[in-house]
Parts: sequence; structure tokens; C-alpha cells
Amino acid sequence: MLRLFGLPDGVTQRPPTIAAAANLNFALTEIANQFERERGTRVEVVFGASGTLTRQIRDGAPFEMFLAADEEFPNQLTAAGLTRDGGAVYAIGRLVLFAPNGSRLKVDERLDGLSRLLNAGGVTRFAIANPEVAPYGRAAEATLRKHGLWDPIRSRLVLGDSIAQAAQFATTGNAVGGLIAYSLVKEPALADKGTYALIPQTDHPTLRQRMVLLKQATPVVAQFYHYMQGPAARAILVKNGYEAPR
Amino acid sequence: MADRPLSVALRQGGPIPLDVEFTCHSGEVLAIFGPSGSGKTTILRSVAGLYKPSHASIHSGADTWTDTETGTFVPPYRRAVGLVFQEYALFPHLTAVHNVMTALGHRPRVERRDKAETLLNLVHLGGQLSRRPSELSGGERQRVALARALAREPAVLLLDEPFAAVDRSVRRRLQNEIDSLRRTLDMPLILVTHDFDDVVRLATHVLMLEQGRAVACGPIAALMSRPDLSWLREAVGLGSVFDATVAKRHADRGLVELTFDGGTLLAPARHVDVNAAVRVRIPAREVVLATSAPAGLSLHNVLGGTVTAVHIDAAFETVVVQLAVGRVELLAEVTRDAVSRLGIDVGRPLHALIKSVSIELVASDGSHTGDDGR
Amino acid sequence: MDWAALRISLWLGAGTIAILLPLGVWFGRLLAVRDFRGKLLVEALVTVPLVLPPTVLGFYLLLTFGARSPIGQAFQSLVGHPLPFSFQGLLLASAIANIPFVVQPIQRGFEAIPSDVRDAAACCGLTPWQQFRRIELPLAWPGVLTAAILTFAHTLGEFGVVLMVGGNLPGQTRTLSVAIYDRMQAFDDRSAGIMAATLLAISVATLMTTTALSRRMSPSRG
Repeated sequence: MLRLFGLPDGVTQRPPTIAAAANLNFALTEIANQFERERGTRVEVVFGASGTLTRQIRDGAPFEMFLAADEEFPNQLTAAGLTRDGGAVYAIGRLVLFAPNGSRLKVDERLDGLSRLLNAGGVTRFAIANPEVAPYGRAAEATLRKHGLWDPIRSRLVLGDSIAQAAQFATTGNAVGGLIAYSLVKEPALADKGTYALIPQTDHPTLRQRMVLLKQATPVVAQFYHYMQGPAARAILVKNGYEAPR
Repeated sequence: MADRPLSVALRQGGPIPLDVEFTCHSGEVLAIFGPSGSGKTTILRSVAGLYKPSHASIHSGADTWTDTETGTFVPPYRRAVGLVFQEYALFPHLTAVHNVMTALGHRPRVERRDKAETLLNLVHLGGQLSRRPSELSGGERQRVALARALAREPAVLLLDEPFAAVDRSVRRRLQNEIDSLRRTLDMPLILVTHDFDDVVRLATHVLMLEQGRAVACGPIAALMSRPDLSWLREAVGLGSVFDATVAKRHADRGLVELTFDGGTLLAPARHVDVNAAVRVRIPAREVVLATSAPAGLSLHNVLGGTVTAVHIDAAFETVVVQLAVGRVELLAEVTRDAVSRLGIDVGRPLHALIKSVSIELVASDGSHTGDDGR
Repeated sequence: MDWAALRISLWLGAGTIAILLPLGVWFGRLLAVRDFRGKLLVEALVTVPLVLPPTVLGFYLLLTFGARSPIGQAFQSLVGHPLPFSFQGLLLASAIANIPFVVQPIQRGFEAIPSDVRDAAACCGLTPWQQFRRIELPLAWPGVLTAAILTFAHTLGEFGVVLMVGGNLPGQTRTLSVAIYDRMQAFDDRSAGIMAATLLAISVATLMTTTALSRRMSPSRG
């Protein structure tokens, strides 16, 4: 209760804050907690769509590190001279077709069920992340295109601001299903909300997720950057449905 | 207190045209009289400093309040002006006594409450000190406004349509109270009104206003007998106004005998004292002219006089005959036909016949006439 | 329950009131009392944030004060951090977004005072400051109070600008309304529910306080 009366944090007491793509919501929280337990220092993580966060960083948001869902957005920041170096790929993400419990959508990795339901006029709403700002949305678009479903499904799409919001739509029964991040449905809280099928990585450009240290990074965050590449973080990432970078 | 006359000269073309010049001395009551929209209130506001005409010169005694020539303009809060607003403009969030105390800023803090209570007692509101304006009647609000205006200890008291918002019966009582109050106040008093009743009852001097222009200005007796003021004729009817003294009371007959510079009159009155000074108004329509003194009528008042002027105005059906009775100019409004039948012309001796009930008596010393509404 | 977010929301509301109320009283009174050329335009400009989508305001603020603009860079070199994504930036955005909520009720409050009453105050010998302090402000008080409460309630509920200009930084710019969004995205419905209920309770309590206070303070009531 006492915390209620303190002034908003000033510049000096600001805990190091890092920006992360929304697909990392559960995995990175776990890694940050693990990091805090091991090293005794805390990093705050703000989640959002990679595109949105890139924009904020360019506008001066005080993040010290950025973990994106692709390589393009961090590369933009590197090109703009805002990062220490080119960074590193820390994980490869996977996409799933998800159908909430009670949905008429039958999930399969070839999207046949979705195709049938679409032809039968049974797709009211289908959730993906906004391809403009979210790499997972871009991957979803590519997948739908590959199966020739993009044009027929377009008018039925609900676009989440981030992959987390798309998952929100897909898992709460507000849509018949969606193409969302594997890492999100691996979370026990969501796992029992529906069924899912892993989309083959060949269906879309690989979700090579790159992270970069920003110019203003403090030593604590630099430590965290290295921690992300260590075995403890890798284990958590794999547990959460990511593949280790090759 | 020495006379601290208020002299005012205002001139501007617009937006509200003004062309007036007057002086009001201590003890005088100047009524600014005219139809609505004639600029009456603008004159008051100019005196108070709430309005700045393009050409103005306003002096109170030796003080210059406004002088557009020299660029002098004293803001309203530094002018010793007491202004009673038409709708009273009391401070709605303050009690009666605090309304009055607001105007006592020039007094030491400790004195203010006592002084405010004294003033409210003076206007018979001693029992309503802690009421808010919303809890007071129209007449009571007017008194608070008056007390507040006096609290400033002003060099001039301005009343803007002070009785417009109260009903007839309250109005009479307030008129009498202000009339008696102003005798104790040694300061010029300016009264803006569109009701002739106020003029007759309270004014010593009148400024007649028409579209911002003074069409007539002077002592009331002189002005009331000017038949050339056509709109006045339309608005209230002409009449003669003069002062008289109560010589005798005939309580049994319900009459009083009045003497004036020209004879005696019998008038109905219940509550005037002997020797009281009164103001008499006789409407010109109520005066009948005769070439010889009649006999056998129920009439009490027959006054002999000489025609001094005949006013024929094409705009009116009637003719106004001015008759000198002693030193009083009496006005009679008759038809054109009567003028030619009686052969009325200047210099001709005539008799004026006046019914007693037509004579209006106005207290001019604070005593009350029969119809004061109490 | 995100106490830090509640704290930031409350501070943002209080800070916005502290900045805007004095300005609003000055400007609202000016609009109520004075007539000047271009008043209509000024009044329209004051009202603009009311009808403008918050994203438009956010866009211009980022454009003006972002790290890539000269003003933003000047600010950054002065204070050490850019204005957006900081509490100060949020406060500025909130102040701008709330201008109509402050100016309009206050203007109405002063407009409700009859001009005669203002004149009477001058004729009572009160200096302009005393007229304002002792007559006008007490009479316009319900308007000022309404302005404060509306601003506070509106600040608590503001979302679009906060997210755009503030960027959801915990402890700095993550207000309660943004925290609810954030928790929803993290599938933390329990926390989101608690915070939503808190916000609802605060809003209802705030509005009830206004109604009660304005009834008690209304000068027309005896």
C-alpha cells in the first residue's frame, strides 16, 4: 500500500527495462525471474508487437535491449545506429493453428479443416496478428497464402495488435481459431483452452528471432543479453516451444 | 458636509448615442427619466466607472473621475459611488450582513460587522442579518442593496430603476423610505426610472432623456409644466407639479386645506399633519376651464388665473392651455373645439375647476399621504 | 493488483489537475468575461481535444517531442531523457487531452455569474483581485469542482494517448488502464479483473463525490 504514495520513478531509480516481442510473454518472464534468482538483479520486460516496439525505440523509448520476433526490425535499429552491434539470433519461433474448445474448426498442419470450414461458410472470425507490426502475423499471412486461403479468408480476419492479442482473440472463443505463436499455447494456462496443430516451418519464412543491445544498455542488461544465450535460458525457451538457433 | 456636486458631461455617437450634461448637488434628487433604451442606465454606469463613453467628463467635487480629454479614468473600485442595481445584484453566496460588509473594506476590520448591522437596521432589516439573498423577498433584497450602496460612504448615490422589480404595494413603502432617507444623506442622488410615479414622488430635478439626448433638464416644477415634451404627454400625461403647505385638516369631511402661491385647494387626505409640506400634482386632463366662476356644483376648487400660453400640437387632438394662478403655472388639456368656443387666447382671464379627488398629494417631507399602501 | 500502475494513475490525475486547474480558471474566466477577435476560433481550438481521436494527439506529440525531432532532441539534451515514454511526457499529453474538460465547465461557471454581480463587486470597492477571490471564484466554484473531477476521472480512463506516448513502461508510464490491457495480453485475467473493478470503483466514487459536493456548494441553494 505504501508504494501507492511514492512519486513515479525518476530517471535514476528506473529499473533496467527491456522490450520484447509478445510471443515471449511467458518464456521471457520465466527467464527474467530465473535471472533475478541467480544474479539478484531485476529487469523489467515490456511486451508488444515487434514493429510497435521498434517505432517506440526510434522515438526515444528508454529500453536497453530489444528481443524481436524476427530479424528485420532489429536490423532496422542497427542500421539507424541505435544498437551496440548486430545482435544475435536467440530462438526460432513456431506457428500453430489453434481452435478453442467448442469451435467447429478441426485443426491440422495442412489447414484442410480450415479450408473446408471456410468453403462451408463456417468461418466467422479468424485471428492472426497484424502483419504490419508483428512478424508472427507475417508468418501467418505467408502460411495462408501458401494454402491459397489468404484471399477467401481476408474479410474474416481479426488482427491483433500483437501476437498476444491475436492469441487472446483465438483462445477466448471470439474467433473460430487463429494462427498464433506456439510459445503462447504451450503455457499451461492456455493449453487446455483448445486444440492446436504445429505448422511446418517450410510454410512460412523462418521466424528467426534476433535480439540486440541498445546503445544505452547498462551492464546489468548486458549480462542479461549473455544470459539469454546461456544454457538456462535456452532450456526455458525450448520448453516453451522455441527451437534453438542453428 | 460641504456640497460635493456631481457634474457630468457625456458625448458619443455610438454604440449607445449619448449627449447629456448635468450637475447634481448634495440634497438634490435628479431623476433621469425616459423610455427604455434611451441610455439612462448607461449614464449611471458611466458615473460609476463601469462604462467609458468616447467623450466624457465626470467630476465629484474636486475629484476627477473620468476625463477623456486628459485620459483620466478612475476605476470603479476607487470611486466613492453607491450604486443600487436594478436587479439588486446581491452576492448570492453571502448573507445580508456579509453583502454589506463587502462594501466596508475602507473601514477597519473590527468595525465592519457593527457598521453593517447599523446600516441594515436603518433599512429595517435588523432581523434578517444572516439570511442569504435567496431567502429574502424582493423588497428586502432592495433594502440590502441600498444598505450595501450606503456602506461605501459614497459621494454620490445612484439608483437604477430601484422599484422595477417589486410589486406596487412594496414600491410605495420603499419610495417613502428612500425619500426620508435621502433627506438625512447629504449627497447627490441620481435615480434612473421609466416610471413617472417615481419622478413625482422622489425627484427635485429631472433629466428627460430621448435616445441618449437630454431633451429637458431642470427643477421638477418647471419641467412638469412644459407641454412641448410630446412623448412625456403620451407616456404619463401632462400635469402641474408645485409645492404647498397643509393649512388645516377637516377630519370630519376627510379633506385637507392646502395653501400655495396662488390660493388654496381642498384635497382628500387621511394622514397628513398640519403644516406639513406636500407636493401637489394636478393632471392636465382633470382641469376644466370656464369663462366665469360657476355656482351650484359639487366642486370645491375654483381657481382664477390668466392664460399665459396655448400649445397646439398637430400630433394631438387636444390643446394644452397654460394658466398663471398666482405664481403657479397650471396646465389644462382641452379640445380644440373648446378653445374656439371659449375664445381662449393669451391674456384672457379664466377659471380652472378641479375636483378634489383629482389632486394627487405627494409627501415631500417624509410624512405619508393617504395612499401609501401601508 | 499492480500498485505501481494505480499509483501512476492517481499521480497522473492529480498532476493533470495541478497543472490545468490554475490555467483553466484563468482561461475559462477570460473566455466567459471578455469578448475579443477570434474568440470563436479559440473556443473551437480549446474544444478540439474533445472530438479528436487520442491517436491524433499522440501522433503530434510523438512527432513534436520524439527523439527524432529537434524539440525532442533539445529536451533530451536538457533533461537527459526524451519527453515521450516518461511520466513528464504523459503528464503533458494528459494536460493537453484534458483542456476541454477543464476549460468548459469553468467557463460555464463564470458565465453563470450575472455581469451585474461582477459590477456590484467593483462598486463595493473591491480591487479586481478581491472581486475574483471573494465574489467570482466562490460563485464559479461548482464549475471549477466539476472541471477537477472530470479531469481526474478522464485521466484515469485515458488509454490511447497513454499507450502511444507513454509506451507501457512499468513504474513510469504504465497506468492502471494500460496495465489492464497488458494483463489481458498476458492472459492474466484475474489481475485484469481486479484492476478493472478498482478503476470502476474509483470512477463511481469520484462522480458521486462531485454530485454530492456540487449540491452542497451550489450558491443558489440557501
